Amino acid sequence: MAMSDWNIVTRSMRHRFFSSVVTILSVAIAVGLVTLLISMRDAGENSFKRGTGNVQMLISKEPGPLPSVLNSMFYAQAPGNPITWAQYLELKRSYPFAWSVPTQLGDSYKDAPVMGTDESFFNDFQPVQGLSWSLDQGAYFAAPFEVVVGSDAAARLGLSLGDEINLEHGAPRTEGGHTHDQFAFRVVGILSPTHTAHDRAIFTPLESSWILHAHDRREAIFGHGIVTTGEDLVADDMKITAIYASLGERKAALTQVLSALRRDPNWTVANPADSVGGLFQIVSNIDQILLAMAIAVMLSSGVSILLALYNSMEQRKRQIAVLRVLGASRTRVFGLVLTESALIGLIGGGVGVLLALAGGLLVTKVLAQRVGIVVEPALPIDGYLIIVLASVAISCVAGAIPAMVAYRTSVVRALQPSG
Amino acid sequence: MPSDQSHPVLAISGLEHRYAHEPIPAIKVPELTLQPAQQLVLTGSSGSGKSTLLHLIAGLMDPTAGTILVSGTNPHQLRGHTRDRFRGRTLGMVFQTHHLLMGFSAEENVMAALMFSDIPRGAHGARSRALLDSLGITTPTRRVEQLSIGQQQRVAIARALACDPALVLADEPTASLDPDNAEVALDLLQQACRSSGAALLCVTHDRRFLDRFDRAEHLLAPHEQLQKAGGA
Repeated sequence: MAMSDWNIVTRSMRHRFFSSVVTILSVAIAVGLVTLLISMRDAGENSFKRGTGNVQMLISKEPGPLPSVLNSMFYAQAPGNPITWAQYLELKRSYPFAWSVPTQLGDSYKDAPVMGTDESFFNDFQPVQGLSWSLDQGAYFAAPFEVVVGSDAAARLGLSLGDEINLEHGAPRTEGGHTHDQFAFRVVGILSPTHTAHDRAIFTPLESSWILHAHDRREAIFGHGIVTTGEDLVADDMKITAIYASLGERKAALTQVLSALRRDPNWTVANPADSVGGLFQIVSNIDQILLAMAIAVMLSSGVSILLALYNSMEQRKRQIAVLRVLGASRTRVFGLVLTESALIGLIGGGVGVLLALAGGLLVTKVLAQRVGIVVEPALPIDGYLIIVLASVAISCVAGAIPAMVAYRTSVVRALQPSG
Repeated sequence: MPSDQSHPVLAISGLEHRYAHEPIPAIKVPELTLQPAQQLVLTGSSGSGKSTLLHLIAGLMDPTAGTILVSGTNPHQLRGHTRDRFRGRTLGMVFQTHHLLMGFSAEENVMAALMFSDIPRGAHGARSRALLDSLGITTPTRRVEQLSIGQQQRVAIARALACDPALVLADEPTASLDPDNAEVALDLLQQACRSSGAALLCVTHDRRFLDRFDRAEHLLAPHEQLQKAGGA
């Protein structure tokens, strides 16, 4: 095969293998970081918004809309201020909700939060807009002390149909929680994955949760060994922590209802999608700092290309001089060095994108396990192309100085016998 | 490149080159001509400007005065890549330290010269192997750093002749070889030039080989020329 500029460039890189690999890696890491950050930005927000499903209003007594959304839809902490069942019924009567779902958080099994709710949670609430719940195995709960387990919780805790579990009072990882050994909850259904935070939760009828709390109340009065049933519930036991609600297609009324609820000091009302948007607005400054840092890393990798090529120029001057003697023009040797630089940028950019994709898979897995939401960092194909092209462009700029050294190499001086 | 028989391969007149800030010229060659296929040895003491002369002929430097015609063309009137192309196609160069491309095979070193020629790319491999074979290199795919010094010199000769040059410039081609190998290398260089019809201008300070060339000239350093003129 005839010799070509390509042969000379690739052989030159192979000749300085270690230096070439280190430079390519530094570019790859920089490109990987930038790619991952850019792809995470949109994916994070989209993923959080996805988890709010078809809820138009989240009503609670939390101190603000954002904690309300984070606690009641993303299971960050157990909400603190309860809503009585009577208040809930009054609220339902007062506003033209198409549907409303009462939810109660405060118990857990191992590290999975347990939500008390009713069948409307599975009938009316869609965890992802347009996507209703579906069961992977079994059935939805129909009686107290039955539980339906989110897909991620089932996989992580090794739960299967028919298993019996004892819930703990308090949210996961809460100090001072205690296990209700007297009450065995039976797994009757396992949900299909929704790739939202709900996948790591366990669901049980509200009445079960209320009985647990009634039992604590009664034990304090009557001592250990008592038996508590639904019959023993009093109004003070029947509390919830948040209400998922929607006006359905009556979107025109939404603003009015929201403003009416917001005027009422008894309620905290959140539009979940707006709250998530607000959250990302808050973190966008940090995001921009991270992005600036990633771009700085990318520029520093450009400097490392410059240094690697520039330092190699001393030993390559003779090679360049020989090529000049053989008939290569100054422009051509300039092009050879620039091509090498661009090739480093191209390989580094490609490897960087692969690193970002691998890193994205890791982030997806970790977030799915830890937070229960699926963040899928991905860019459109032209996004990746633009990043690789930017890497090539920065590399070319970095390679211009060593290429200029090659261009200006004095053939006569470089060919003088050394020593 | 077949030499044009109507022109001398090399015609120098009134050549002078002075480095910046140097009071006396580094080289002065009033007249020098070389006919096609002729072999000329140029001797001279250290500092007489032998290597500078070759660099001037190759168009790697511009003279401060005088003209050099190579196959009827003044390379110093050519600019940029035109001069580089002219050099690649008209001249072959052999150096004392070979100046091969390290990390490349013998064959690739020869093909590197062909990259800048008009010879079709498809013919480069066969041409390189044939040249190397004619010079006794039977392992053309070995990297040049794995070859002996003598073999490296043969690769350098093959590379110089790869584009059928009209003129081969050899700068102390035997200086790094022991006497036996020096004789063999010079034999090969001269034979190869004769076979290809290229003229040969060989500069050396080794006077043992003068008889082997068609002509021998002695290059006086400018200060020697002054002394000679003063003595006369």
